Amino acid sequence: MELRPLNVSSKSKYKTYELFIGPNHPGIEGNFSYVLDMDGHKVAQVTPDPGLLHRGFEKLMERRLWTQNLALIPRICVPEPDINEVAYCMGVEHLAGIEVPKRAQYIRVIVLELARMGAFLFGFGGLGGATGLYTAPNWAFGDRDYILDLFEWLTGGRVYHIYQYPGGVKNDIPEGWLDKLSELLDYFESRLPEYDKLIFKNPIIQRRTKGVGYLSAEDAIENGITGPNLRASGVKWDIRKAQPYLVYDELDFDIPITGDGDAFARALQRRYEMAESIKILRQCIKQIPDGPHRVKIPNPFQFRVPAGAYYSKVESSKGEFGYYLVSNGDVKPYRVYVRGPSYSVSLFYAQKAMVGMRIEDVPVWIHTMDICPPDFDR
Amino acid sequence: MIVLLKLIQGIGAGALSISIGLLFVGIGRKITARIHRRYGPPFVQNFIDLFKLLSKKSISHGFTFDLGLIAGFSALLAAVVFLPMGQINIFPHNSSLIMILYLMTMAYLGMAMGVSSSGNPNATVGIARALTLTMGYEVPFAAVIFSVYLFAHTGSLTNIVAAQSGGFMNWNLVKLPFGFVAAEIALQGMLGEAPFDMAIAPAEIASGPMVEMGGKYLGFGMLQHSIGLFLETGIMVDLFLGGGSNVWIFVIKQFELYFLALLVNAIFPRFKIEDGVSFMWKVPLLLGIVQALIVVL
Repeated sequence: MELRPLNVSSKSKYKTYELFIGPNHPGIEGNFSYVLDMDGHKVAQVTPDPGLLHRGFEKLMERRLWTQNLALIPRICVPEPDINEVAYCMGVEHLAGIEVPKRAQYIRVIVLELARMGAFLFGFGGLGGATGLYTAPNWAFGDRDYILDLFEWLTGGRVYHIYQYPGGVKNDIPEGWLDKLSELLDYFESRLPEYDKLIFKNPIIQRRTKGVGYLSAEDAIENGITGPNLRASGVKWDIRKAQPYLVYDELDFDIPITGDGDAFARALQRRYEMAESIKILRQCIKQIPDGPHRVKIPNPFQFRVPAGAYYSKVESSKGEFGYYLVSNGDVKPYRVYVRGPSYSVSLFYAQKAMVGMRIEDVPVWIHTMDICPPDFDR
Repeated sequence: MIVLLKLIQGIGAGALSISIGLLFVGIGRKITARIHRRYGPPFVQNFIDLFKLLSKKSISHGFTFDLGLIAGFSALLAAVVFLPMGQINIFPHNSSLIMILYLMTMAYLGMAMGVSSSGNPNATVGIARALTLTMGYEVPFAAVIFSVYLFAHTGSLTNIVAAQSGGFMNWNLVKLPFGFVAAEIALQGMLGEAPFDMAIAPAEIASGPMVEMGGKYLGFGMLQHSIGLFLETGIMVDLFLGGGSNVWIFVIKQFELYFLALLVNAIFPRFKIEDGVSFMWKVPLLLGIVQALIVVL
């Protein structure tokens, strides 16, 4: 796909016109824009315009201590910051040969799954926002606040938690927290049918999303698409099952597959996975063992990670989220690379997929594909 | 002397329509907020916003932009003057429904002229959708008006209201039920509430027509919206709910219609434009034709 300078229409000046989806636009999440060349109401050409969100995280990490980075990395991704912390800590622990206590691993799974649920609620809301069903985002963000309340109780922070630490988690679970979590899961189970009625059984939502933005399994694999979007195209691949990390191999859960590959399937996939997350959390509440929540690491100012490189990955709400850590045995990382799940789809596949689409399908495609600007611009 | 009196009454009717329209939107935002499970802004927020906007410096996009917006605003204001509102009826012998509908279309065309001259493609796409939708809902609404004409043998709103006096059982709502349902669906399109809010789709075309409006222009847009709301619900009350013995009953009946529109708005996303128009040309048009046939036969 050839790149061209912005603001210059490729064909005749009067045949097409430019429409900006972003950087300040209700149809896109974050500071990123798609410049659409429109032919009538159809998209003729798509030019992604990243760069507005660039904060230089990967370079900043090279200048900070291994433990200092923990305060920095959650800020990469707002909807689901915990994946950063867990993936980074898992990489550091692997390089340093630290064995994490079982209890800490369970706590990590609980935090990850709660964050996943929060991100899925963002997903429901995004679909509502894109199609004009504003009750959906308001309900979803309201329900997400209950998750944030629990996070605040556990970690002290609502959005950015800075809770993971090489060797475990910073604090143990407070007394009564698991009971409250159990109550919250009951509440979410009672809410899911309401979301079904409002969103997924809504005839106009079905009309607006079915058959829109079809993604075949071959295209998905070719473009490095992972997570719910890949599973919505019918490929059964989930890192939690395929290459289990933490204690996911001790938990019993299914990988739902919708398989139609269109926008409706992608939205429905998230709905099903939310139910699975509730199931996982219920098991964690039952199975979590007693014991230490953390093993002590040496003085953080002198914490040297042995030389080596490791790629640690977790299954996020958007797909495979990974940290490639390179250490030369110093107190700071030598190089850190972050793999965002929507990197390839946002910048490259979008240029192919959106051509021929209508304006009203563009935000639906963006939201169901979970285009997240921090994945490629950080 | 009579001219002066009518002028003062006309200004009064305009002021009433603006304040009631703004109040409706304010209360409506509160109701929508409760459905959304949030608290919502105070119901006077729209008045505060309006005063703030009208006191701001604004950027014009040229003479046509100004003219279009003012033409649209004044057409709606002129239409309100001819609307019988309970005991307030400024021109009892001239309240022709056709004229009111004509002035309402003028308002849309004025708006289209104004926002198209701003040169923003979002606004152009938005107003193109609004005019296409106008085509969609005016056809079933015309069918409904046709059956009301046939039923009441008059085109004057005053006479239509008078024919419905004497209790609930005389209302056209009871006598022309299919027509009422058809007109109610058309009203949803006129008000621009979901599922017919494609003209101002924020996620697609960044709120469409008002994308280039700021300050006083946005204030005028708000005024136009509130007058339009008052006028459209007012026509429905006069046509089907028997008008009102006084203006407050009239306003309460208007609010009931707006409340119904809000409830539908809360649970539906927006149609694509062609789906919206084809729905209008199928369901309400069919109901309107059935009603006209029932009246004729």
